[in-house]
Amino acid sequence: MQIVLLIYLIASFLIFVIPERIKKAVPFFLASVQLGVFIYFFSKIGLVSGGATIIEKIAWVPQLGLEFELVLSGLSLAFVLLITGIGVLVFLYSYAYMKSYSRTDIFYFYLFLFSGAMLGLVLSGNLILFFVFWELTSFLSFLLISFFHEKEASRKAAFQSLFITGLGGLILLAGIILIGSVVDSYSVSVWVENAVMIKSHKFYLPGLVLIFIGVFTKSAQFPFHFWLPGAMQAPTPVSSYLHSATMVKAGIFLLALLNPVLGGRPEWTYILTLVGVITMFLGAYFAITQTDIKAILAYTTISALGILVMLLGIDTVLSTKAAMLFLYVHAFYKAAMFMIAGFIYKKTGTLEWSKMGGLAGIVPITFTIALLALLSMAGLPPMLGFLGKELIYEAKVQLPDVASFILVFGVAGNALMIAVSMFFLFKVFLGKKGKSFEVSYKKDWAYVFGSGVLALLSLFFGLFPSFLGKNIIEPALNSIRKIDYSVKLKIWHGFNDVFFLSVVTVLLGFSLFLLIYRKNRLLEKWRNFNLNFFTIRLVDVFDNTMNSFLKLAKRKTEIVQHGYHRYYILTIFVVASVLLWYQVYVTQGWSLLNVFTLKPFYISGLVVVIVFSTFFSVISSSRIATIITMGVTGYGIALIFLYYSAVDLAITQIIVETLILVMFVLVLQQFPLFAKLSSKASKLRDVLIAITFGSAMTVLALKSINIDFNNRISNYLIENSYVKAYGENVVNVILVDFRALDTMGEVTVLIVAALGVFVLLKSKKV
Amino acid sequence: MNVIALPIFVPLLLILILLVVKQTRWAQWISILGSTVLLFISIILFSGLKDTGIQTLNMGNWNAPFGISLVLDYFSALMLVVSSLIMFALSVYSVYFMGEEQKVNKFYLFFFSLTMGINGAFLTGDAFNLYVWFEVILISSFVLITLGKSKEQLEGGVKYLALNLIGSLFFLAGLGLLYGKTGTLNMAHLAEILRESEQPVYINSSAALFFMAFGIKAAVFPLFFWLPASYHTPNITVTSIFAGLLTKVGVYAIIRFFTLFFVQDQAFWLNLFLVIAGLTMVVGGMAASTHYDTRRILSYHIISQIGYMIMGLGIYTPLAIAGAIFFTLHNMIAKTNVFLVSGLINRVKGTFYLKDVGGLYKQNPLLAILFIIPAFALAGVPPISGFFAKFILIKAGIEDGHFFISAVAIGTAMLTLYSMIKIWNEAFLKKAPEDKESKYESKGLVFGEVFPSIVLGAASILMGLFAATIFAFTMEAASQLLEPGLYIESVLKGINP
Amino acid sequence: MEIVLAILVGVLYTAGVYMVLRRSILKFIIGLIFMSNATNLLVFISSGVVAGEPAFVGSEPVDANALSDPLPQALVLTAIVIGFGIVVFTLALKYKFYEATGTDDLDQLKKTDN
Repeated sequence: MQIVLLIYLIASFLIFVIPERIKKAVPFFLASVQLGVFIYFFSKIGLVSGGATIIEKIAWVPQLGLEFELVLSGLSLAFVLLITGIGVLVFLYSYAYMKSYSRTDIFYFYLFLFSGAMLGLVLSGNLILFFVFWELTSFLSFLLISFFHEKEASRKAAFQSLFITGLGGLILLAGIILIGSVVDSYSVSVWVENAVMIKSHKFYLPGLVLIFIGVFTKSAQFPFHFWLPGAMQAPTPVSSYLHSATMVKAGIFLLALLNPVLGGRPEWTYILTLVGVITMFLGAYFAITQTDIKAILAYTTISALGILVMLLGIDTVLSTKAAMLFLYVHAFYKAAMFMIAGFIYKKTGTLEWSKMGGLAGIVPITFTIALLALLSMAGLPPMLGFLGKELIYEAKVQLPDVASFILVFGVAGNALMIAVSMFFLFKVFLGKKGKSFEVSYKKDWAYVFGSGVLALLSLFFGLFPSFLGKNIIEPALNSIRKIDYSVKLKIWHGFNDVFFLSVVTVLLGFSLFLLIYRKNRLLEKWRNFNLNFFTIRLVDVFDNTMNSFLKLAKRKTEIVQHGYHRYYILTIFVVASVLLWYQVYVTQGWSLLNVFTLKPFYISGLVVVIVFSTFFSVISSSRIATIITMGVTGYGIALIFLYYSAVDLAITQIIVETLILVMFVLVLQQFPLFAKLSSKASKLRDVLIAITFGSAMTVLALKSINIDFNNRISNYLIENSYVKAYGENVVNVILVDFRALDTMGEVTVLIVAALGVFVLLKSKKV
Repeated sequence: MNVIALPIFVPLLLILILLVVKQTRWAQWISILGSTVLLFISIILFSGLKDTGIQTLNMGNWNAPFGISLVLDYFSALMLVVSSLIMFALSVYSVYFMGEEQKVNKFYLFFFSLTMGINGAFLTGDAFNLYVWFEVILISSFVLITLGKSKEQLEGGVKYLALNLIGSLFFLAGLGLLYGKTGTLNMAHLAEILRESEQPVYINSSAALFFMAFGIKAAVFPLFFWLPASYHTPNITVTSIFAGLLTKVGVYAIIRFFTLFFVQDQAFWLNLFLVIAGLTMVVGGMAASTHYDTRRILSYHIISQIGYMIMGLGIYTPLAIAGAIFFTLHNMIAKTNVFLVSGLINRVKGTFYLKDVGGLYKQNPLLAILFIIPAFALAGVPPISGFFAKFILIKAGIEDGHFFISAVAIGTAMLTLYSMIKIWNEAFLKKAPEDKESKYESKGLVFGEVFPSIVLGAASILMGLFAATIFAFTMEAASQLLEPGLYIESVLKGINP
Repeated sequence: MEIVLAILVGVLYTAGVYMVLRRSILKFIIGLIFMSNATNLLVFISSGVVAGEPAFVGSEPVDANALSDPLPQALVLTAIVIGFGIVVFTLALKYKFYEATGTDDLDQLKKTDN
């Protein structure tokens, strides 16, 4: 299986080296790779349905619990076949659809890489690896949605989808890490083994919620669903593949995968059924008032994803079985419908159903296919969709606790779905002729082929469901529920509650359809009502939140980075003062022992002189006086050095001070007089800050003098200065021998500074 | 002489050579050759660590702690290798991007004095010597930032200089107090004394001064102001050097000091780090989201990412420290690279301002790929380096019960993503605004210009694919930091003065 | 007497901080010089100074505690020289800056923020 992923990676890059004249063959090449992989996995059905799981594992970052662990179980096989199978058809379809666009290389590259990433996702046996693929699919989806990148709407939709799924992804990661910390592993099998422990741990609920948020964003559940309709900006093959059949199901896959670990608790059931039901109903409800056929399909996809989440939430064997079946049902009809919608769009140049009509006469084959797909979508016999819907009802009826709530919304949702399907069929294919166009099935076979296959499969499996049930649904179910359960699908269940519900649904659906079909105005009113009633559109909420966040950020930034230089300095000194005084406060306990030990006392006279000259320098408004008194301070310090037996230091200080004074005087000619720039209040504030900081430093100096851990290394230096380094002046020996590296750095600083001044002052004026 | 000192002396030699070289061509070749040699030296030094764990060198043969010791452990070696790699890439890049300046020969002088300072800072085992290297870095960066002498540069230079000088003064004052209390400057010796001391909290006030000094250098909240005010002004080569290396030297010093010997009163320091980390991340990220000049976006972004590194230190488990180091290494590479690419965008389009560019995706697909690698790395897209960096830190945070800071880290990751997507959307996807398009004739790129980005991009990807190896190294580095027994032993060799 | 020197350090820091908070760049530089002097003095006194002999030694053994500690002196010396280099560069920058912009007012430096 690792080889398979590698093949995807290599094949993706091969696209760029295929010579120009056979570029046309790229989609066929990719489709045949997909087909090969499909056949490979198809051949594993026997093995997997026998209960075996194939595990391949190599280390990636084992220290972090990240293994490249691939697991082929019944569950992953069900998804793998869907991904590769529909993949074949989508690439064939892309051949027709993408022909007219330039830069298709990059499109195929992303799309094929996506297939590989998606395959990796459903094969992952390690949740961090799973996350890696999860993120990759999010990013590839982003790149694909923004394929028509010069359209503002595309870019915006792409960003939205990435932001939502990206945020969800990181939250999911946090959830995985949280639960992973309970069992100290990210391997799914370890989680399953320790399921009991996880379920009773205090991290269960927070972990569950975090993981659910990840799932809800990816699988477009309320209230994160709004990115999916936006994602319809992508080329239709992408909508058909990523945004209906595969990527949006990644969340569903994760729920199924973690069902044995996290399921079986009321938290699981309540959250998932509630969110699922709301999503299902809202999706169907909004689908019906859309004017754009791709949008209709997008909302019905949301609804279908809601059903899947709800079914996994009900968390019984029957509901899981229904979920696995419905996964297939939906993938078949929805991918087909998207392909048809794209075909119509290409031919008519519009996606508005109001401009279409009577297409059945122009494209009879497509009409037949659409009829089959829509029947399946409506859940009517003899299609696979019918089986799916019956099973769903059965699962719902079975659950006594929340059943009535779910049932009411379920029936309503399905009725809406029937109405939408009928409406689609009648408005687009039957009735008054809208835009007309030429079509030659010989030339356009690739448009129709994929949808045809899928529709026929819907029909075939509807009539003969046992192959699907036995080979795919049953192993998947067994690997989720960890039980042996034989799945028998049948079309006729006899007269019971479920049948009754079906009849009610169909009647409701047809009435609703007739109502809106007959009275166009009604639909319009309904749409207006929705617009007025649901004034809060989540897309806008997202945009507004984003915008107000940016505004806030701008305001905050202007407050922080205001440009007034001295307030930056001020901030630094305030922070430093607070920190230092705090430290002084908490580290009491040292005492002032050596305060007056030092002699001679008359040094205080010198200190007084220095203090005065400093003070004068600060308050003087004359430049020259300021500088000269500054010099006095410097010389005074040199004298202090001298008194306390630091001869070299005193000499250096005097030289440096003199040089600085000279330079100041030289430069001074150029400068304006000191202007009175600061107000009294700001001066007072600055004085206070300066004193706070200065006094802190005084205290620290005293503290440092009085605390001695008694480990002076200088004793060694003094003792060895002459003996080993042959120098009498210890300070000089330290500089040139003990700490020669410092001196080297110091000289470097001087050289660089000199060169810098040279470069700065030389040559042109600015 | 032991080879550990080479990363300091080779740049010195190069400076001396460059002092006499007059031709620009020659200077360029010498610097490329020199930085290649430095890269090799650092790799050799790094691989030598496998046997010894920690290598030390007492300069002038004065036994530690009396002279100055150079110490090479995993942390410093990793930093050394990555910074040498960046310097190598930049030496190539500068050939094309420093061309217009007249001072190009001199540029290389300062380039190598900066290299010398950085290498010295990573290698030294002596607190005062670290100060000296900081000053070498500082003066070199002052000169570099004002090299073009435009008004903007001078203004940025004044701000950069002012705040960093104050930082240096804090550093020196801290050193004075530290020496006053302990009587030593050798870091291993300091560790030994302070870890055994009975009244270690007395050292906290010096620690506070060091924190201020390194905090200013590393640009953490609320000490970062100099960075956004100045980083976007100099030549893009200079900005790239600064972005990749300067703040990280500050981070290096914080991590080194606060794991080796300022380990007293950790309840206070670690909480302070976590608070600062969170604020740094959020403020930097928010500020980045408001701008439209790529260099400004990326500058604020540097700050935001420093927060992650400090976060790792604040959590203070082996995993977290390893995460902080991993993050630092990843960030040095990716951040430099993304600046290099913004320079390329400027070369092609003539501006850094996002609203005036566009259509690069179509016009120059190679550039798109070059951008998307570091951008995805910074945004944390698996399996590139940034994913692991964030994953390790968030894992460390959650496993140690620091849920709040982990949530902040996740939120900030979204801000990063937003900024990267903004650049991507505006510069690459959007159609070029027509009125601006005609004014500037778009240029193509030659191989030498994109080569550094390719190297660094490849490094980001490899760091992700071979994350196990890199992580093992950072883990080793972290364990050396958290259990400094080996460090102390290797430096002092049992000498107890 | 230590307390007098410690207070002097504090005064110098106070003067320095006050000066660096002024709007004039020239005052800013003067403030830096004050602070730098303060820091040097701080380093010098922080390990305890002795008004004894300068640290000159010969071949015969000496009592190390009777001499002033030479190490801080060496450090301060290095710091003074480094500080000198940086002040010179700062002055040059200031000179150039004034030449380019004609202002000495730090509050005019707002272009590179925001």
